[in-house]
Amino acid sequence: MALRKFSILAFLKKNFDFITGVLGEIGLTVLIMGAALAICLLLVFVKSVI
Amino acid sequence: MSWKVCFLVAILLLLIVPLARAESGQALIENSASFDGKTVTFTGEVIGVLMRDNYAWVNILDNEVAIGVWCSAEDARKVTVIGDYRHGGDTVEAIGTFRMADPEQGGDLDIRADNFTVVAVGQELSRSPSLPLVTFSVVLMIVAIFVAIFLRHIRKEKERIVPWPFH
Amino acid sequence: MIPALTREDLKIIGYNLSRISYLMGGILLLPIIVAVIYREIDTIPFFLIGASLAFILGSLLNHFLETKKEMELKHAVVMVAVGWLLAPVLASIPIWLSNATASYLHASFESLSGFTGTGLTVATDIDHLSHSINFLRHFLQFVGDGIGIIVVSLSILGKTKISSVLAFKGEAKELGIRPSIVRTSRIIIGIAITFLIVGTILFAAAGIKEGLNPGTAIFDGLNHSMTGYATGGFSTRSQNLLFYHSVWVEVAAIVTMIIGALNFNLHYAILGGKRKEILKNIEVRILFFSLLALGFLVSANLIFSNLYTSPDSLFRKGIFHVISGQTTTGFQTAPPQHFMLLWPAFSMIVISIAMILGGCANSTSGGIKMVRIGILFKSIVREVRQTLLPRSAVVRGTFHNIEDTLITDTMIKGAAVIAMGYIVLFTFGTMITVAHGYSVESSMFETSSALGNVGLSSGITSPSMPFVVEVTYMFLMWAGKLEIIAVLVLMGFIILGLRKGIKK
Repeated sequence: MALRKFSILAFLKKNFDFITGVLGEIGLTVLIMGAALAICLLLVFVKSVI
Repeated sequence: MSWKVCFLVAILLLLIVPLARAESGQALIENSASFDGKTVTFTGEVIGVLMRDNYAWVNILDNEVAIGVWCSAEDARKVTVIGDYRHGGDTVEAIGTFRMADPEQGGDLDIRADNFTVVAVGQELSRSPSLPLVTFSVVLMIVAIFVAIFLRHIRKEKERIVPWPFH
Repeated sequence: MIPALTREDLKIIGYNLSRISYLMGGILLLPIIVAVIYREIDTIPFFLIGASLAFILGSLLNHFLETKKEMELKHAVVMVAVGWLLAPVLASIPIWLSNATASYLHASFESLSGFTGTGLTVATDIDHLSHSINFLRHFLQFVGDGIGIIVVSLSILGKTKISSVLAFKGEAKELGIRPSIVRTSRIIIGIAITFLIVGTILFAAAGIKEGLNPGTAIFDGLNHSMTGYATGGFSTRSQNLLFYHSVWVEVAAIVTMIIGALNFNLHYAILGGKRKEILKNIEVRILFFSLLALGFLVSANLIFSNLYTSPDSLFRKGIFHVISGQTTTGFQTAPPQHFMLLWPAFSMIVISIAMILGGCANSTSGGIKMVRIGILFKSIVREVRQTLLPRSAVVRGTFHNIEDTLITDTMIKGAAVIAMGYIVLFTFGTMITVAHGYSVESSMFETSSALGNVGLSSGITSPSMPFVVEVTYMFLMWAGKLEIIAVLVLMGFIILGLRKGIKK
């Protein structure tokens, strides 16, 4: 039986939506963390000024 | 007369000079504010070592309360047995500064050790299977299989004699 | 008039419970694989005993209560409520046999806390627990809360019938993914496994980077991924995530917690290509706003009370615990006693509010849920607009949750009833706890943690907690998981049986 050639590119193309979806959700969490960190930096700055 | 003087001096010294006494994990956690920034002695079992380049975190457990100790990698390498299901870990004594919210470690509760000693080496814990329990578990499993097969057989017989929906 | 209960009603419920029992038998055999890998042969009998008892019970229920009659809504709801007690009782057997807890009551508490995805723990000496028992604790959260035992039973043993649909809804899940309930259940499992793998990779990579050996990093990573996605909060360590002293582990935890708090329908839409839903969805927007607003309040309170003063400590303590609380996970990076003894009361109250608000509907999170908060908020706006506009004007409110939905009075009523139920139980639980000598803010904190199936603890939950408080929190965990209505239906069922008797 001939083995089907596995192509990473073909796999990525076939599961493009799925993979970008997972990355998108991780991206959302990174966005939340980034915004939260910005709040922390702002608070430290405000405290240093007061 | 001289022995009386010696005795009195000894009593006075005992009262004035505080004995080096390890703080319990419970005491440190519950009175963190009063211990913050002070030198403490903490003794317990090692339950975790995380090496970080030239330093390391050694988590020490004392009677259900664990505290992380930040020490040198060299000190951490003295630990030979880490506590887990099969092992009682090394008993170590760490002397250092207690921080209830260490700003250099992201606000973690920790002890920055100046002195780190392995007091007793850990040992293997005996975890042999209990024969009565093993026997009981095997018997119960056989009973479960038997019950399932037997009841299924009864149900099949019932369906053969009186087909559903006439049960 | 509500008809009296019949024996057939009890048969229908009992017969369908046999499925749960069989499933539990299978689940309790799985940790044996872990026991073999780690050569913890002495723990295997615990799982064999638990599984055997589950199979025997399942066989007896299946045989003696056999009926071909379909479940109606009342049966499905009662079956789910009872099933969510039966499953933890069966799972508590190996936990008790292994001496992971001091008593059978504690083992039941631990098991219920696992199943409901709460994460409050009364286990003793977690750092010396066997890998197999530890795995069971975490796996219970993944199966019970991350997926849902009704969902699992449907996908493995189920057929697409009305009764299955009703049981699915009874587990506080709404349809919407696929027409077939069995297919929907399998999709939920697929999503859970996807993010389990993602979470395990993130945790393990962080663990190895921060000094763990690969074997430990993978074991801990798998378990924390299970409880992170399930927004459960159990940990393999007594210090919880503080054990790792690592911002990378905490970041991995935040990723899994937030993903776990998102709606299953949203996951399905995004993974199917509708990427815009990430930011269009009402629940994501409210969650985003809520996390940042409450995070700001807590961080401001902490910095101005001089407890945590650097940006990274504010993020790793303040923001982290707000996210852990609102997603109802319960991972902690501070000792429980610090919440009670060091943290300012205002921060405790804000986190309590976050825990009650909860995550998205149809997710692994607990709490009142973001969509209900959104509906209630929009209804208030609608009321104000209606009052300001001429009488003849009709004000419509809509929200976007995968698709644009009109807010109806039925929706508002449903949201309000659940919210009211939470507030009543929250008040009840807080009063019971305060009556045992704990401070008001700690009592509020711990009660909202149990009711919202969160798991953050201020130290009240421990092996030495008072009996009445422990039983109260068990009730709150169970009621909170089933969003209260199923529990009330069960109580109604019992009262009906007592009042009118059980007819033939």
